[in-house]
Amino acid sequence: MNTEQVSVLYFAKSAELTGLKAENITVPSNISSLRLWQHLETRHPRLSVLRDQVVLAVRQEYVPLGEQPLTLRDGDEVAVIPPLSGG
Amino acid sequence: MDDTVLSLKTQLLEKESEIVALKKKLAQLEKGNSVLTELQEKVINLPPLKSNTALNNEDIMRYSRQLLLPELGVKGQVAISNVSVLVVGCGGLGCPVAQYLAAAGVGRLGLLDYDVVELSNLHRQVLHTELTQGQPKALSAAQAISRLNSRVQCVPYHLQLSRENALQLIQQYDIVADCSDNVPTRYLVNDACVLTGRPLVSASALRMEGQLTVYNCRGGPCYRCLYPAPPPPETITNCSDGGVLGVVPGIMGCLQALEVLKIASGQGSSFEKQLLMFDGQEGRFRSIRLRPKQAECAVCGETPTVTELQDYEQFCGSAATDKCRRLNLLTKEQRVSVQEYKAILDSSAPHLLLDVRPKVEVDICHLPISINIPLSSLENKKTEHLTLLKDTVSDLKQQMSIKSQVPVFVVCKLGNDSQKAVQLLEKMSGEEVDQIAVKDVVGGLMAWANKIDPSFPQY
Repeated sequence: MNTEQVSVLYFAKSAELTGLKAENITVPSNISSLRLWQHLETRHPRLSVLRDQVVLAVRQEYVPLGEQPLTLRDGDEVAVIPPLSGG
Repeated sequence: MDDTVLSLKTQLLEKESEIVALKKKLAQLEKGNSVLTELQEKVINLPPLKSNTALNNEDIMRYSRQLLLPELGVKGQVAISNVSVLVVGCGGLGCPVAQYLAAAGVGRLGLLDYDVVELSNLHRQVLHTELTQGQPKALSAAQAISRLNSRVQCVPYHLQLSRENALQLIQQYDIVADCSDNVPTRYLVNDACVLTGRPLVSASALRMEGQLTVYNCRGGPCYRCLYPAPPPPETITNCSDGGVLGVVPGIMGCLQALEVLKIASGQGSSFEKQLLMFDGQEGRFRSIRLRPKQAECAVCGETPTVTELQDYEQFCGSAATDKCRRLNLLTKEQRVSVQEYKAILDSSAPHLLLDVRPKVEVDICHLPISINIPLSSLENKKTEHLTLLKDTVSDLKQQMSIKSQVPVFVVCKLGNDSQKAVQLLEKMSGEEVDQIAVKDVVGGLMAWANKIDPSFPQY
């Protein structure tokens, strides 16, 4: 199985829950978006509270959490974006 | 005799300068109050906005610098003057939105807010002033707007947007700017915009970050397409908890105003299918491409299940305000009032006062005898903090030769986190630390400031 190193960016509440703004992780190059999210949850169990609201973006494009496969390439940017509600 | 004359002259001078200051203050207030701005406490049906077809000489001069833009031109300016915009929330986002829309010459500006101006608003809510503290924000904003551009029809609403009034209000406006500060209002405004077919220019901000999307516009998604389920209440951080750097909502509000003007002048928005994110710390904007509206969306989809407005506080499990909720997790026996704690402090009875706020808040103010272990450290069982707690408790036990449980009082800002900490500490008692008897100080340090020590800072 091929793996790729991708850069995960954490925004808003996800940065607070992981204590990170960014990290590089190694994941299979062919992976579903749901598996990718579960991978992040395994690294950071506290992220699980965000699962139903989070916007997950790969290469700056929204991907719904589900079974459809993603094709990740080395250096791809994955963004974890929970909504902000303040104003 | 000379002395008396001199003293009288000095007194007169003082009185005269006092009179000047009073006259100035009066003039300022009169100017503010003289504007139309009749505060609406409920939604009324407004007469339709008078339609303009041309610009007069004063308009041409006032808007000349933007009339020169080929993207706008006379046609765009006339369109802007015929548009009505509802600004939901006159806070950190709403102030710059209203300010730039009024400056640019929108026809009618509805300004809605249920709160009054407080000192802690002024760092970001830039239409309000020291003089308008205590006034309804909608009125304070409307007065500032009228001073800026008296030709804009300004309608201040001092009311809570609800399932009962939202449709009647929103259908009277062409474009809606969501500048609210809480999740239930965001769902309410979204659903009302979908049901009335209005574009929703929505932004939000917290700490150093902001987000912006235009919903329900030209085939783009609505808020529910993106967020079908509301977040669990405990995952929501509001500005009064998390803080916000004033200029960040300022930037997001300016972007909102820009998108409203582009829609109003027929140019269309750039964010109908985009989520714009601003990271003020990195100084970076990122734009995420979104999917179009979703066929299965509960409100804008093909077979909607939401066909009328709902109870959004119930749907979200949280109140339509950014004020802190009051948790009630403990029994009466697990809590002491600030008066009771003061008596314990005065009696020099041996005990530990544990402050569970984040360090940044402890730096603002704290009680000198407290030790600081943030709630997050207790939740994550952070080693250095657990060691500190364990050592402090066992030292206290030895020094004071306490035979039974060591009394521990837990305090935070308002008495919510301290309750969560009491629950955690009770589980640790006899395990990670010696036996302790834990109690929460009801109402936290703000109750201490209100009831015990008025010189203690409030924030």
